Amino acid sequence: MATIAVPLGAQAEQHEAEAVQRPALSEYLRWSVDHKIIGVQYGVASFLFFLVGGAMAMLIRLELWTPALDVMVSGSAYNSLFTMHGTVMIFLFIIPMWAAFGNFVVPLQLGAKDMAFPWLNAFAFWLIPPAAIVVLLGYFVGPAEAGWTSYPPLSTLFSGDGQTMWALGAHLLGISSIMGSINFIVTILNMRPPQMTIWRMPLLCWAVLATSIIAVMATPFLAGALTLLLLDRIAGTTFFDAAGGGDVLLWQNIFWFYSHPAVYIMVLPGMGVLSEVLSIHSRKPVFGYRMVGLSSMGIAFVGFTVWAHHMFTSLQPELRIPFMITTMIIAVPTGIKMFSWLGTIWGGKIRFTSAMLFGLGFMSMFVIGGITGVMLAALPFDIHVHDTYFVVSHFHFVLFGGSVFAIYAALYHWFPKVTGRMMNERLGQIHFALTYFGFLFTFFPMHIVGMLGMPRRVAVYDPAFTGWNQFISFAAFVLGISTFIVVYNIVRSYTHGPVAGANPWRALTLEWATTSPPPATNFIDDPIPFEDPYGYGTEAATAYLDAVDAAYREPGGSR
Amino acid sequence: MTTSAIRRPDKAKPGDERAAALRLKNNRLGMTIFQISWIMAFIALAVVNWQLRFSYGQWPPLGVAPFDPLLPTVATLALLLSGALVMRGWRALRGGEPGRFRARWRGALGLGALFLLLVVYEFFTVSEAALATQYGITLRLMTSFHFVHALAISLLLLRVYRQAGRGKAGAWAVEGSAKLWYFVIIAWLLFYVVLYWIR
Repeated sequence: MATIAVPLGAQAEQHEAEAVQRPALSEYLRWSVDHKIIGVQYGVASFLFFLVGGAMAMLIRLELWTPALDVMVSGSAYNSLFTMHGTVMIFLFIIPMWAAFGNFVVPLQLGAKDMAFPWLNAFAFWLIPPAAIVVLLGYFVGPAEAGWTSYPPLSTLFSGDGQTMWALGAHLLGISSIMGSINFIVTILNMRPPQMTIWRMPLLCWAVLATSIIAVMATPFLAGALTLLLLDRIAGTTFFDAAGGGDVLLWQNIFWFYSHPAVYIMVLPGMGVLSEVLSIHSRKPVFGYRMVGLSSMGIAFVGFTVWAHHMFTSLQPELRIPFMITTMIIAVPTGIKMFSWLGTIWGGKIRFTSAMLFGLGFMSMFVIGGITGVMLAALPFDIHVHDTYFVVSHFHFVLFGGSVFAIYAALYHWFPKVTGRMMNERLGQIHFALTYFGFLFTFFPMHIVGMLGMPRRVAVYDPAFTGWNQFISFAAFVLGISTFIVVYNIVRSYTHGPVAGANPWRALTLEWATTSPPPATNFIDDPIPFEDPYGYGTEAATAYLDAVDAAYREPGGSR
Repeated sequence: MTTSAIRRPDKAKPGDERAAALRLKNNRLGMTIFQISWIMAFIALAVVNWQLRFSYGQWPPLGVAPFDPLLPTVATLALLLSGALVMRGWRALRGGEPGRFRARWRGALGLGALFLLLVVYEFFTVSEAALATQYGITLRLMTSFHFVHALAISLLLLRVYRQAGRGKAGAWAVEGSAKLWYFVIIAWLLFYVVLYWIR
């Protein structure tokens, strides 16, 4: 049989003696324009905020253990608590966490040496710590208590100076997000190798591209809304005050025109991760590659037409039905992805790695969040469960069952590339089991208490709901504890994990065709991508993977 | 057997030239995306203006005289002319005529300064009656939001103009700052129509 020429470029056989050096930890604490360092900076910072936001969630569940006020001194204090929980989780955890994976993985998948604008990349990251400090310090100076959505008049007439600081911090984070997204779009469109047409691009890149398009188009609306909020709070304008000719619905329109697309900013990269992880760990090509790529774009565009479904109870009645219809339409591209994932793993040689488990967990949880989303899109039902725990349950299924599960899948999947070490699979499986069931039993019962009429955003509730709430809180504490397992696993694996080698999952995308961690320039020479990023199961793919293994074998030999 | 073993053909260009070409391509695309992105902030404020009109039975509100569009129109013409001069100056520079470039950009900067002065004048001469309503407030909001951008970018133009005088301005500095000035013009045209012509 003819030898299959393997497209590694001029780099094969050069790595035998090169020891893989990890950057010193101090590198991560200073300004760096290396996308890999910045990616880790984003990741570690956001994970710390995840712990902060998670601790707040634990306090919320502790407060709700009994129907009376016990942990918090007042209803206002409880308001501030869930406001900070939502703000930290959305603005400081999920959105920057996707910037972490985007930064680390996207240039490598494209075979690029760095992002298009390395300096801008670093600047975008370094806006986050000051923004976080401003937002978090605001909690101690008369905290924001209007929820993460900051509806006026709660956010104008009632909250303290913390609300002003919240708005300033969110402004900075928005600017950071726009700069990061411009960088992603230019990198993805301009810096692919000549062999990689847009239809041969890994699906994570498609997802990050769609996400970035949303971010650059929508985030300026947030900037506009926050500017008005700041002026109302500081300069005495009355944009949101009907007494001064303003309109409270103005905030809701402008804010949701950003924040509904922002929901897709938070979940689309996760969908990209899913396509990668499910295909690689079941050794099968992605089912319907083009439709998956296009459905990301479909979600991005339709996502701009649905914002007022957050305002069904406050909107002019004649606008409700159009927004109900667009909201239901967005289930179509999402459904395409769901069926693609099922088609991808169907009949595959599934390996139940931790990454795969979280990928499968994402599918099962996200489909529930998606279906409750369609339920909420139905106007009569929405009006019934508006502002109840049903809504809380829905968006946690999307943002935790969706985004966080995908973040964990991505963590287990790319940790070997980032650190050069494997994570402990047994601990990963325990982490998955506790997270999966802790999550399910925390949030699924919320559907029921919501349908029964328990309102969200209250510390004091009808004692009839006590049993349900104690069950939910217990499960939430299990979920909280499960996080310590992954923290331990990260630390332990970083220092003691088995050496990963270049391509532990035998994956075809380019980030695995270099050492782990990659050298400063990512690749020794311009790499050449394999013809199909998900072409598993062919002889050519096997030959390519064997050649990658041979080219990057560790000096010690075994992996 | 099919294979993808296509070695990248050796480029005729040396590596650094290729890198410079990529950098320029990146800068141009990045600038375009920035313009498309940030114009959305201006559109957001136009939407704010539009929605606030519904709080009043009519626009301008009862008892408020409509703004006189004369001076804003002069300002708009000055801005458009300065944009044309920026464009022609940039073209002259590419054509190897730095003298003409400098003359045209001097004119553009002067007209830009005139525009800024007229906007400031408009800001401070809004009537008390208008300021008691969102009619006057949104004018101040939108013109000052635009002013901040116009001022910053005209200072950038000034800096590039001076650097070019010493022969130190890179090609991208001229192109980038010119494109930012076009952005200022497009954003102003949006506001000009919304504030002074749509009743």
